[in-house]
Amino acid sequence: MRNQSPAGSSMTDPADPSSLMHDFDVTEAEISARKAFLEFGAEDVAKLQSLKPLAQRYATPMIEDLYRLFLAHDPTKAFFRDPKSLERVKQLQKEYFIGLTEGEYGTDYVERRLKIGAVHERIKLVVKWYLGAYAFYLRTVSRRIFDEHKNDPAKALDLISSLTKLIFFDMGLAIDTYIAQREKVIRAQQDEIRELSTPVLRVRDRLLVVPIIGLMDSARAYQLTDQVLRSIRAHRAKVVVLDITGVPTVDSAVANHLIQTVQASRLLGARSIVTGVSPDIAQTLVRIGVDVGKLHTLGDLQEGLVEANKILDEA
Amino acid sequence: MKIPVLKQGEYLIASIQEAATDADLQLLLNELVRRVGEHRSKGVIVDVTVLDVMDSFAARLLRDIANTVRLRGAETVIVGIQPDAAFTMVRLGMTLDDVATALDLEEGVAYLDRTLKRKRGS
Amino acid sequence: MSGESRIPISRDPDVVLARQQGRALALSLGFSESDPMFVATAISEIARNIVVHAGGRGEIVIRRLDQNGRVGIEVEATDTGPGIANIEQAMQEGFSTVKSLGLGLPGARRLMDEFEITSRVGEGTRIVMRKWARSSASRNRTHITLG
Repeated sequence: MRNQSPAGSSMTDPADPSSLMHDFDVTEAEISARKAFLEFGAEDVAKLQSLKPLAQRYATPMIEDLYRLFLAHDPTKAFFRDPKSLERVKQLQKEYFIGLTEGEYGTDYVERRLKIGAVHERIKLVVKWYLGAYAFYLRTVSRRIFDEHKNDPAKALDLISSLTKLIFFDMGLAIDTYIAQREKVIRAQQDEIRELSTPVLRVRDRLLVVPIIGLMDSARAYQLTDQVLRSIRAHRAKVVVLDITGVPTVDSAVANHLIQTVQASRLLGARSIVTGVSPDIAQTLVRIGVDVGKLHTLGDLQEGLVEANKILDEA
Repeated sequence: MKIPVLKQGEYLIASIQEAATDADLQLLLNELVRRVGEHRSKGVIVDVTVLDVMDSFAARLLRDIANTVRLRGAETVIVGIQPDAAFTMVRLGMTLDDVATALDLEEGVAYLDRTLKRKRGS
Repeated sequence: MSGESRIPISRDPDVVLARQQGRALALSLGFSESDPMFVATAISEIARNIVVHAGGRGEIVIRRLDQNGRVGIEVEATDTGPGIANIEQAMQEGFSTVKSLGLGLPGARRLMDEFEITSRVGEGTRIVMRKWARSSASRNRTHITLG
């Protein structure tokens, strides 16, 4: 359960299935590892907290400058056409900016960062623009820190150092979230492609044709076999024509998958005809020791259909 | 639990239930062999539609049924193997090459009718 | 489903019970297509080994796995039977003598993604096998790490 106390203590639980941390598998260990690599520790927290008065003083003019930047460039201007949403986003940005110096950088903080990345991916605000925004924060805040500590440049640098670590921590999370979201979309698309690329066609009562196109890896072969078997059952097929014309490479793995499909189909009472077996493939099959007597193979799909129809008509 | 065996004309039909144990299957083998002899049945249909898992023991036993029953002059056909069961069987290498199979009861009976007709030399 | 299922294996019906539990967990974790059957069958094979070759003195524990955003199922079978003198031989495909373990172990290995077996003559055998859900439905959790 999420519970933010006024003191801002971390209460988002990475194990909570409704949290983004759970979704993106960001554990406490992961957070610690990132901070450790950035050499971000308790001293940095203290330094950042000391910047809070400065942040509060300059939050409004800084955000105005940031949005001046966004609106001055067409690609980013496009995101802020609606004045109401522009005001809302500016407010969120101000909160973000002040949040950099609150001194609380635990799971709640991380959850908010992940949200930013997820939102950016959703609205298609690509990485280069929000990296530009981070760069803006870093250089404008650095300048103001420097002005504040004119007489102590070493201290200014020290403070800027801590801020840099935190900004990079934020960027890492936002970018990785963006990437993870993209990968999720790509995986879903791959699954769809895999299913679409192996259609099982019912061309006649009790006859299925499966035109197999493209490279066959074991995941695809598994999905193919499963799909063919379920189709045999659903359509009560007596003959299945497996056309491998569109399979570029037939090695022993592919051949074995094919044979397994044929053998399993027989257990469901269906006969299989494998078509598209070129002379090359025939040689490969023999060479790798496939019992070609077990396989009913034919040169092309056309022949296969003629043969299938014959079998069905005779029954 | 005892696996029911029904006589339907010249055929015996055994319907294996969901949670059949190894012992149940073994008893089925004995029962079928006995009754094929008793009724002089010509065909045996073993329906595994609802059997939860077809593992190496079950597959081997089905093969034993087919072989033993054949010695008594009857043909066996296994029907109702589910898609995932069939996939598992071939993964295990239990392809039951010498055992006739059909999609379901209807196809099984049709298979036996055809085979018997051929045997009797029509 | 949470926690784990612990099934003592001593007689025939326990083989059925163990495999039913395995299938149920696999289904509840989102395993799809033929995977639940693969898991159930693998469990059936090793459970039977305990009944037939370990004098029915063993148990099977089935648990959920979560790793790197993937969901999986782990089956741990332990027995205090006579143990296997020659594991390599027992794991050979098609190895069969009257005293052999039949197709049980190699079969189970073929059906699962990971398979480990340790055994001590006179003490017993321990098998741990795992399978990971393959469909994207159970992989909605994407993953970020440093490396």
